[in-house]
Amino acid sequence: MTSLPRSQRVRDPLHNLIEFGSDDFESVVWRVIQTRPFQRLRRIRQLGFSELVYPGATHTRFAHSIGVFQNARRLTQIIKARFRETGRQYESHWARVALVASLLHDLGHGMFSHAFEEVGKELKRKSNLDLKMVKHEHVTDVLIRHREVSEILNQAFGSGFANDVADLIGRGYPKRIYDSVVSSQFDADRLDYMQRDRLMTGVQNSGIDLTWLLANMETGTVQASVDEENIGEIETFALGPKAAHAAETYILGLFQLYPTVYFHKATRGAETLFTALMVRLMTLVRDGSAERTGLPNNHPFVRFAIGPEQLDNALLLDDTVFWGALSSLAEAADPLIGNYALRLRDRHLLKCVDIRERLLAKLPAPPPSADTESRKKHAALLARLSDRIKLEISDWNGEKFTNLPRILIDQAHRSPYKRFQDSDTPLNQIHIRIEDDKILDVAERSAVVAALEPFELFRVYVDRHDDECVKKIGLIIDGSIENEGKDDGQA
Amino acid sequence: MGKPDRQGAADIIRDAGGEIVGRTRLQKVAYLLELAGLGDGFQFEYRHYGPYSEDLTDAIRLANAFGLIVEEERQANRGGRYSIFRTKSDSGPHRTMERRAFAAKAAKIDAVELELAATAAYLVSAENCEDPWGETAKRKPEKADNGRLDAAKAAYRELQKIQTPRSLPAIG
Repeated sequence: MTSLPRSQRVRDPLHNLIEFGSDDFESVVWRVIQTRPFQRLRRIRQLGFSELVYPGATHTRFAHSIGVFQNARRLTQIIKARFRETGRQYESHWARVALVASLLHDLGHGMFSHAFEEVGKELKRKSNLDLKMVKHEHVTDVLIRHREVSEILNQAFGSGFANDVADLIGRGYPKRIYDSVVSSQFDADRLDYMQRDRLMTGVQNSGIDLTWLLANMETGTVQASVDEENIGEIETFALGPKAAHAAETYILGLFQLYPTVYFHKATRGAETLFTALMVRLMTLVRDGSAERTGLPNNHPFVRFAIGPEQLDNALLLDDTVFWGALSSLAEAADPLIGNYALRLRDRHLLKCVDIRERLLAKLPAPPPSADTESRKKHAALLARLSDRIKLEISDWNGEKFTNLPRILIDQAHRSPYKRFQDSDTPLNQIHIRIEDDKILDVAERSAVVAALEPFELFRVYVDRHDDECVKKIGLIIDGSIENEGKDDGQA
Repeated sequence: MGKPDRQGAADIIRDAGGEIVGRTRLQKVAYLLELAGLGDGFQFEYRHYGPYSEDLTDAIRLANAFGLIVEEERQANRGGRYSIFRTKSDSGPHRTMERRAFAAKAAKIDAVELELAATAAYLVSAENCEDPWGETAKRKPEKADNGRLDAAKAAYRELQKIQTPRSLPAIG
């Protein structure tokens, strides 16, 4: 006799009690959670190497995904309530698609998530090798459309449901208001990870007032466009005027999480070691030198390197496989793999030289009160200097390379809030309804948000005893500043 | 050493007549140039507004910083912002007439139609899609209606008429 579905409960450090009802929809969601691909997320940490800095940050994509579903449920309830108030039709199919998409949006993440994707980009640059299975979007798509998840969803909700979920996640931008629950700058994902990462790392900044934000959430209509062309009106979330300051705090919270957590120099340093190690490992195996990696021929890394296009090989990889392999990798005949594996295993990370900070110390940015043009000029100066310094460091690194690169370079930039520009859909934005019922982008309402500039980093990592290298970097920085403006910028 | 990406990015704008309106249009012109064998090797991948090159975005930022181009930000009529990219000078070796004709023609196409055409071209060339126009309409229903898909097809056919080192893929 088949037992009837019963409600299920999960205790969560962020949301406390998360319940899955015994109704048709939520019992199916619970079944999806039990599948192998979803259970695999227990072995992928949300913050990868951040645990080397914040020992409490061991939370997984499994816990995060369930938290995102919980947030998505709250957001779809808001749409339902607002639509009921205004007599509009609530489309339960698209709401359900959004809910399942919120649960599954991270399904295809590989080990150490974005650091693993860097391995793919590096191999593409160096060897023109296109590794689709390192891209989490691709793996997520395949897992939802073609595997057991698809069977469960289509059997329960009709053929095509799994494809609707995969389409929404793959599109990466919202087409309907329901989609903004999954993919926008105020989506269920960000609402979970900002709070969860803060809680688990223990950092005390970056708090957000979620209760007040959700209590003031409304819906409204705004314009959509591509470049200068308008393409019509679109329905979106909008915060009421009383939540304007809470929206500001939310964006500033993310602004603070980047330097504090996501771009912490030690975390990024570990990621650069991981990327360099995995690129070397993949290259050696594909060149027929697997024996130099220290791994047996049937190790998941070796299998993936030989057959990177096979989904099953990609699914073998998770954080635990990497940590478990470190002792073998530390004994690799290849000096880079051996050295970097030891460094990661024992947390003997490379020393960080923050080039951007050094440049800012020598060439301070104009104060926030300065005119936009001055600030733009300063940003352009830093961009030019960074570009030249990177080139010189790369050249020197190439000359001095023997068994190991002397310098690992790390560059990135992120915007805590993306302005509505060109073809970004307004559904991606955070809107505020002001007093006369006009709906504005939060960046037009808040001077603080409007003034936010992207967080940029340009760092290099060197052996902490390599004084010659540190000295050389200093000389390159000074030389670039001295030579600034002496060429015509055309080369 | 080849020319830096920033110069390649500035050259696209110069060859398009010295001005390109909008990031979407810039990306799609660059993509179609690559597809026609007239590009500088920018790598593209599929993003939500069609083929997109992160390298090109970085290169444009640097071209701006090095003074090779000027980016002017404007407010659209009914909300939102967009950028206009201009080259500062017409200097430097010009590329072939075909490239200039192609880039200039592509840059004049309506941004939505160009996005649709570039997306269909990407779908057929990178994903071997059997019905690229149909798939484009499916992925971008809000943009493909009001006759825009037909206009995109017509614009694409016009681009195909230009002699290029590699023919643009045939899309039924």
